[in-house]
Amino acid sequence: MKRFLAAGAIALATLTTGAALAEYPTDKPIKFVIPYGTGGGFDTIVRTFAPAVEKELGATVVPENIKGASGTRGGQAVARADADGYTIGIYNIPGLTVAETLGRDIGFSLNEVSWIANLAASKYGIAVKGDSPIKSVEDLCKLGRPIKLSDTGKDSTSSITAVIAFQMIGCDITNITGYGGSNDTMIAVMRGEVDATLKPITSLKKYTETKDLRMIVTLTNEPVLEGVPTTTELGYPELAKFGLNRVVGGPPNMPAAVVEKLATAFEGAANSEAVQIWASNTGTELSFMGPEETKSMMSDLSSFYLQFKNLLQ
Amino acid sequence: MGFDALVDAVVQVGSGGSFLYLAAGILLGLCFGVIPGLGGTTALALLMPVTFGMESLDAMYLAGGVMGATSFGGSITAILLNTPGTAPNAATTFDGYPLAQQGKAGLAIGAAACSSSMGGLIGLFTLILFIPLAKEIVLSFGPAEFFLLTILGLTAIAVSVRGKLLRGLIAGAVGLMFAFVGSDAITGDLRFTGGIDYLWDGIPLVPTLTGMFAISQMLELALKGGSVAGKSTGNMKITGVGLGVLSVFQNWTVLLRGSIIGTLIGAIPGLGGTVASFLAYSSTVQTDKDPESYGKGNIRGVIAPEAANNAKDGGSLIPTVAFGIPGSAETALFLGILVLHGIDPGPSILLYHEREIYGLIVAITAAAVGASLVGLLLSRFLILITRIDVGIVVPVVIAVSLTGVYVLDGRMADVLLTVIMGLIGYLMIRFDYPRLTLVIALVLGETAERSFHQVQLISDGHAFGFMLARPVSVILLVVTLLTFFLPIARKLLDARKSKTSVVVAR
Repeated sequence: MKRFLAAGAIALATLTTGAALAEYPTDKPIKFVIPYGTGGGFDTIVRTFAPAVEKELGATVVPENIKGASGTRGGQAVARADADGYTIGIYNIPGLTVAETLGRDIGFSLNEVSWIANLAASKYGIAVKGDSPIKSVEDLCKLGRPIKLSDTGKDSTSSITAVIAFQMIGCDITNITGYGGSNDTMIAVMRGEVDATLKPITSLKKYTETKDLRMIVTLTNEPVLEGVPTTTELGYPELAKFGLNRVVGGPPNMPAAVVEKLATAFEGAANSEAVQIWASNTGTELSFMGPEETKSMMSDLSSFYLQFKNLLQ
Repeated sequence: MGFDALVDAVVQVGSGGSFLYLAAGILLGLCFGVIPGLGGTTALALLMPVTFGMESLDAMYLAGGVMGATSFGGSITAILLNTPGTAPNAATTFDGYPLAQQGKAGLAIGAAACSSSMGGLIGLFTLILFIPLAKEIVLSFGPAEFFLLTILGLTAIAVSVRGKLLRGLIAGAVGLMFAFVGSDAITGDLRFTGGIDYLWDGIPLVPTLTGMFAISQMLELALKGGSVAGKSTGNMKITGVGLGVLSVFQNWTVLLRGSIIGTLIGAIPGLGGTVASFLAYSSTVQTDKDPESYGKGNIRGVIAPEAANNAKDGGSLIPTVAFGIPGSAETALFLGILVLHGIDPGPSILLYHEREIYGLIVAITAAAVGASLVGLLLSRFLILITRIDVGIVVPVVIAVSLTGVYVLDGRMADVLLTVIMGLIGYLMIRFDYPRLTLVIALVLGETAERSFHQVQLISDGHAFGFMLARPVSVILLVVTLLTFFLPIARKLLDARKSKTSVVVAR
């Protein structure tokens, strides 16, 4: 019976996608590479999507953590795998884009990755301590000394965004890096050792709701929170381009039919109830993009960051 | 509010299915604890995907069981084979192993089991007591305090290596140099990597610890031959477990101090159990009337680190309930499990997810007690390990611990590093250099450097003045100075007393 069904499925698949990819993706599990350890943001989104994608594809998806070297080891593992659709990965964008733009060797080329989908995107905001006398970006710039900001690492996306954003606004900053995680950077603001921090809006919101922090601006085009201005309103429309993306891709030269099949499955998964509920509970901003859209976003991002090359080096 | 939730959680754990998850967690935690190279973090990381399909509370029980049980599991190997099963048990080897060599392994295991569960209980009560103050506690520890705590830890190195001060300092300095390998946490510059990509993220801790303690100890045993307990103890009865349990209550001050140090260090993100148990040990040695008896099988040297090691789990939940941030590597993974279940940890976690948090607290505590009971029941069989010929023990431990190191990240380079560290560790044993000081320096060095750098930036280059203006920093400075000068002062005082034979009137 089982064999009969499988044969039927193969026959059906052959009709639609061509003989070469007939059995994809039912004959072996799909490896989904996470370039960071278990429990992080990338790990969580992959493990949440995996079962939903499994349902869409009717295949097994196995998440695998290959961490190390700032997320490049996982990307390298995907780049070296066969382009048969059985190995895909999630990428930290624009972290890798910036590294590559600055001429660092990340061990593979982002240009050659077969982009499949963009799953989520988050935008940034700037927050100060809940009871701080600083009420706006203008106040922050009028401190009479470089603004102290807290961040995890010099190469982190938020740190890079802060450097570029405050350069555009025209204020000096001292970026104090080395904090253990994004939560630690926000607690540094609460302790009062730094003036402000630039972080994803969803992360900051957890602390602004309890009045431990106060958001003074969001780096967006449209207002996100009531009473909090956007950078576009303040006259810096370019700043709304910054964000953090969770992008799925595969080894170079994946057959278009396989990419398409995977993209459809990811789109279905993104709209599934389980993923939607998870996203609303955790404040994740799902923002699905197909292969073409993702690819053009990637090249836009490279040229966007290229103009700041001198500032970041 | 807290008490009701606590009672609910206890009732929940007691009911059918949940108890099975807890029991499974305990057994798994014990196994991962006993095996060198595998620890609580490995167990949780491997379990995380498995919990995906579970109810969130059941996942908490499983995770709590693992977290509470690993530390006692690790003390078994530390006592019987001089090989800490998990990193924090390293301090237990100092006095636990000499006891095993003297044929008193039962005494040591009894004391470890009892102080583990008592430490766990004290940690839990301290946590519940301090939940209302959790925010203040977390906010009063910034980079300045982190830096001073690491300095306190480094000072303790000098105190804990009685008789081999110079060798201890040399090992500590080597550890610091190891800590500075890799990319600078602040500037991102690469240092001492020798063009090897693997070293970009620094020298990883778990392979280093496994090599330093497990592999080197196995080399030593293999070359020595025989069995751990020696041949002289041929027909000695396995007793003393009860006495060990009793000794914990006789030395309740040691237990209490160890537990408080454990809770405090646990509450400070980024320091962890190794530092907690080490500080508990060194402070016990230092305040004892007879410091020379340590390292030769003093039962207090087992009680202090084991109590601290289990109490730190309660403490590490203080930052979690205050801000939703992890206090230890284990709680970081535990928060990851929550995220996987659609719960976003944040400052209001205790408000909205009281059920899960109290579930975890109860599970950890029940696991600490449960693991100790299981350990006590099995102790008479476990002790037989010390009688087995090392020709059998050594290959098993080496194979299992190397596999464990590989499992964590799936990198062959980790295994290679473990072997290299094992050889360095063996040389250190042969030439009588303390290995723990190297490891403590490696653990603390990175935090010390990073937080000092941060303080410099925050204070615009006036780090010392900045620290003097912060009350917690001043307290830590005073404690550090006391740690350093007290032994010297005591020695001078003793010398003068004996010279002039003046009896101090009380």
